[in-house]
Amino acid sequence: MVAPQELKPAAPGAGDPSSAAAARELAERVARPSAAERDRDHRWDPALFAELAGARPGPGLAGPLVPRALGGGGLSATQTCALLEGLGEGARDPGLALAVGVHAVLATVPLRAFGSPRQRERYLPLMASGDWIGAVSLRQTQGAALAPTVTARPGTPGLGGWVLTGDLDLVAGGPVAHHFLVVATHDGGGRTAFVLDRSTPGLLITESAPAAMRTCTWGRLVLDGCHVPDDAVLGTVGGAEAEVEPLMASLDWVFSSAPWLGVMRALVRDAVDGAAERQVFGRPLVHAQSVRFTLADLATRCELAAGLLYRAAGQFDSGGRPTRQDAATARLFVAAAARAVAEGAARLSGPAALTSDHLIARAHRDALFFAETGGGTEVLRPVIAASLLGLG
Amino acid sequence: MTETPHGTVLSFPGTASRAAETDAEGRMPPPNWTEIIDSGYLRLFHPPASGGTGADGLTQLAAMEALARACAGSYWTATVSGLLCGKLISRYSRSSEHDRLLKPLISGEKLACFAIVEPPAGSDAGTYNTTVRPAGAPGEGFVISGEKAKITNAPDADLAVTLARRQKAPGDEGHDWCLAFVDLNQPGVRRYETPRMGLRGMPWGGIVFTEAVVSEADVVPVPFGELAGELAELMAWGWLLISVSAIAIAESALDASVRYAGERVSFGRPLGHMEGVQTQLAESRAQIDAARVLARKAVTELAAGRSAREAIAMLKIYATEMAVEVAARAVQIHGAAGVTRGHEVERLYRDAQMNVIGGFTSNRLRETVAESLGLGPAVYQPFDWVAPAGLGIDPAGFDGLTQSAGAVPA
Repeated sequence: MVAPQELKPAAPGAGDPSSAAAARELAERVARPSAAERDRDHRWDPALFAELAGARPGPGLAGPLVPRALGGGGLSATQTCALLEGLGEGARDPGLALAVGVHAVLATVPLRAFGSPRQRERYLPLMASGDWIGAVSLRQTQGAALAPTVTARPGTPGLGGWVLTGDLDLVAGGPVAHHFLVVATHDGGGRTAFVLDRSTPGLLITESAPAAMRTCTWGRLVLDGCHVPDDAVLGTVGGAEAEVEPLMASLDWVFSSAPWLGVMRALVRDAVDGAAERQVFGRPLVHAQSVRFTLADLATRCELAAGLLYRAAGQFDSGGRPTRQDAATARLFVAAAARAVAEGAARLSGPAALTSDHLIARAHRDALFFAETGGGTEVLRPVIAASLLGLG
Repeated sequence: MTETPHGTVLSFPGTASRAAETDAEGRMPPPNWTEIIDSGYLRLFHPPASGGTGADGLTQLAAMEALARACAGSYWTATVSGLLCGKLISRYSRSSEHDRLLKPLISGEKLACFAIVEPPAGSDAGTYNTTVRPAGAPGEGFVISGEKAKITNAPDADLAVTLARRQKAPGDEGHDWCLAFVDLNQPGVRRYETPRMGLRGMPWGGIVFTEAVVSEADVVPVPFGELAGELAELMAWGWLLISVSAIAIAESALDASVRYAGERVSFGRPLGHMEGVQTQLAESRAQIDAARVLARKAVTELAAGRSAREAIAMLKIYATEMAVEVAARAVQIHGAAGVTRGHEVERLYRDAQMNVIGGFTSNRLRETVAESLGLGPAVYQPFDWVAPAGLGIDPAGFDGLTQSAGAVPA
């Protein structure tokens, strides 16, 4: 029997194995035991999120990318990637890890990058502590590749501000969020990002329940002529196309993939264990060369995926502009690898493992969902091709 | 001839024994052609009235596979001429001309090629420029000018079934396109050979027509719609031909792999005892069978005169890509032997790739299959939708766009 540690070489390029290890240990202790049950019940556990967010000293999963001066962890992109990888591996819960990543990265970084000093000071400290949860619709993390569903028109003269109308589904964290990042389209063209507090009049939030990623909490926003002040604008008016949209896309492609590295490692370990326990033709399955080859290939996929993901994450630490091509490439590869690993693990573990009590069945279902987020292949491939060809 | 549970199947032992030599020389040896003629292969595809033997579809298929297994290059040469060009001539030329045009192909006295593609483009017929125009007054015949390329048999063929535009005299309300049956043994024709990675026994190259003479009887106007209509139905025979080439190459590769796995000892036992090798053999077996079953269905339909265009498009995509995969596995199973120049599986590996490209590539055919699902015709637009969606520029860093200008983050 192979010891689990031997299966887990450090991810190439991983800057801080200790943050991954700490997150893994914490998640394994507090989240893993209830993962199957929360999944079955579509249940969000606020106490669990608070525990992950508030661990001190520890990984502080709510605010790794918030600067220390604003009460966050001040971690690098590489460290954050490792943190999320550890969360995925320890919790064995893709939905929870997605919820954490959406809050800690997708809802946080655009505020850090484009927020006014007032916005940064208002939101980031309470996001870092986990007191305020930020939410984002996964419909809006691939620019305007999907038809925009929210419009903005100027507020009535004298009142100023903007009036937002429309609706957004797939809002990860929606039912428990304090505020939302929303991109809205102007009549004359152009798009602007806004940060909307939950208390905004005319904003209605309802719960929804996608069939996958059930341990995340999901909502739908209806904006019924929501009037927001000018200082709800995030970045430049009409500037989302150059500011928030490309950033949010690359953040999703990279950081929402990170927990899957951990999930894949857990799946490979389960597949090894499952194969070791099963007998076919009176022989242990692991004696079969074909099974050993499959496991070797799955482990290889994990390493390749990790390499691409840490390459893309590291670009956020370089001080220059990350490249969308490398971010999209990482997501394209990780999403395919996650599906391949889930399927391989299912095949080697036998039909008995295909209940939602096991990670394999949940991960198989969630990997399909994951592969379609961030735009899926129909957005990722054109983005990569556009970079290669100088077209698009 | 070999007796099998399915009846009598032609065999080509001489051609098979010369396959490596044929590949190395890059030419089909004359005895191959003699063996093919003597076997009656070329007659199978045509009714007795045309000088054929009118075999049923499955017999045709078995014979095609047998020849393709013996030597894929020789198979292409014989089948493009005898089957594909034979069927085109049989359908489109006047029956009064069949003795002159068709019978020599069926008897093997003459070799034909199907000249459709031109140098600048593949299957995009809108770009073709080869043109047939009247040589003089009505009744005085035609001349053809232009260049056709990437044609099986072009360097050696006697006759080219050529798709061309028609230059019409004033008042001619006829079709804009035609099939011209052009005699290639005349001064206005220059041929050249194109070097290729596989199917090296098959002559392959281009034809330059410079005012080459075509008789009045040998120009048959066809509507442009024919390119998606009846002509396309006949071209489906070409796709079938190529699919069978792929299936045969895959079968040969699997056969060689099974033999090798039984003989080659590694770690104290023949390779066949290793599950990793078993996996590869089993996957190949299943894939080849899937393709062959579809081929049998398709040929039965075609031989009965029914359309099987969609099924054959699916077959060509699957079979040709499958053969590349199976040949790659065979090379892997053979180890260093498999990558040695002149080894059977090394040849099959190169041959397999040719089928994917020849006679409409896989991607072109996927469009055909997609269209048959009710998706409408292929949509070609300039690629310009990524940037407007906000995905055409690199993202800012964590501290905004100021970072990129070299400013120190706050």
